[in-house]
Amino acid sequence: MFKLPRKTLINFILTVVVVLCVSNFLSCIKNPVQSAFKPQLSFIGLIKREVLGLVFYHRNMLLAQSLQTDVERLRWRLFNLRELNHENIRLKNLFAFKQKSSLRFLVAQVIGRSMDSWNSTVLIDKGRYQGIKTGMVVVSPQGLIGSIVESADHTSKVLLINDPNQGIFSIVQRSRQKGLVSGTLGSNLIMRYLPDEAQIEIGDLIVTSGLSQVYPKGLLVGKVVTLGREFSGLNRYALIKPAADLSSIEEVMVIVS
Amino acid sequence: MKKLFFLLSIVALATLELNWPPALKFFYCQPDLLLIFSLALVFYQDFKTALFFAVLSGLIKDVFIPQTLALNAICFGVFSYALYRLRRQISTDEPYVRWGIVFLVTLLTNIILGLQILATGVIISPVIFLRNLIITSVYTMLLSPLVFKFTKKISA
Repeated sequence: MFKLPRKTLINFILTVVVVLCVSNFLSCIKNPVQSAFKPQLSFIGLIKREVLGLVFYHRNMLLAQSLQTDVERLRWRLFNLRELNHENIRLKNLFAFKQKSSLRFLVAQVIGRSMDSWNSTVLIDKGRYQGIKTGMVVVSPQGLIGSIVESADHTSKVLLINDPNQGIFSIVQRSRQKGLVSGTLGSNLIMRYLPDEAQIEIGDLIVTSGLSQVYPKGLLVGKVVTLGREFSGLNRYALIKPAADLSSIEEVMVIVS
Repeated sequence: MKKLFFLLSIVALATLELNWPPALKFFYCQPDLLLIFSLALVFYQDFKTALFFAVLSGLIKDVFIPQTLALNAICFGVFSYALYRLRRQISTDEPYVRWGIVFLVTLLTNIILGLQILATGVIISPVIFLRNLIITSVYTMLLSPLVFKFTKKISA
């Protein structure tokens, strides 16, 4: 009969106890350590922004000029859309449609990024004291960014949509084809479990379906760039370029209600 | 006083890792400065100090990643101990040997971290898995002489 020596057994039990103690200890120190790191991370973020502003002065000036033109053009479009919106509201009221409640945002600065290549997270400068809770959705004006996975007193951790742990139930805006979007740790996202007859094309926009408890309906996720067949041959997949540039986000908006 | 310097160095390196410029990331990979620092301490400090600061470095890294298991703290501690044992067996004075050690340790740490993520049921493409293993390890190895020099200076 196989018998373990007592010393090996004790060493094994000790190792397991140490691993469990260290892992339990981790949750206790997370909040104070993150709070201690916040001032210098915010300061470095500020310096970085100012330095980049000086370095890319000419590029920013040209960008500002082109944006000014866009603003003028969009102001006209906004005027027209406002008229359409009023008409829409009148018609909705007429048909007794339920009015969708408007979302409330909290703007936060990105003060840190993921420390390794196995996760895609960012640290923001707002936490529990500012009303941020785990599970809240984070967006940018361009589109969906991710969701809050941890919130300390004054900082929170955002799991970006290109992290493989993310799973977003989404639909193709044009054809309403459903699929599960998850991260790849690269620049693109992947939409899996698409049947053979799925109505999806390159260039289609992908939005959140609203079927999950986390993400509200209609948030822009990205655009289809490649279509392919999964290795098993059973389903198709689509590679999606995220609407927001996840590698250079500086400010985000957290949907608080 | 020296220990305070080590603590400040860990804070500085962690801050640098958290703010690693996107322009210096190769294929979304960045070097693991805290791991190099914890290994360098084994060469320039006594074992107990090196082990303590290695576990501390690992814990700080674990604070900023979403996984709940403190795997970095455990890995950093175990590899510091393993390096301490190895130093008694072979000569590690040659810089190439140190480069090799840093490469191997980073590779092993990344294999463990990657397998832990795979064990949670997440799908990662083999290309990205290999990219994270190899590029991170090579990048960490290439930056190791700088961190070794820095550690030597503050240890003196």
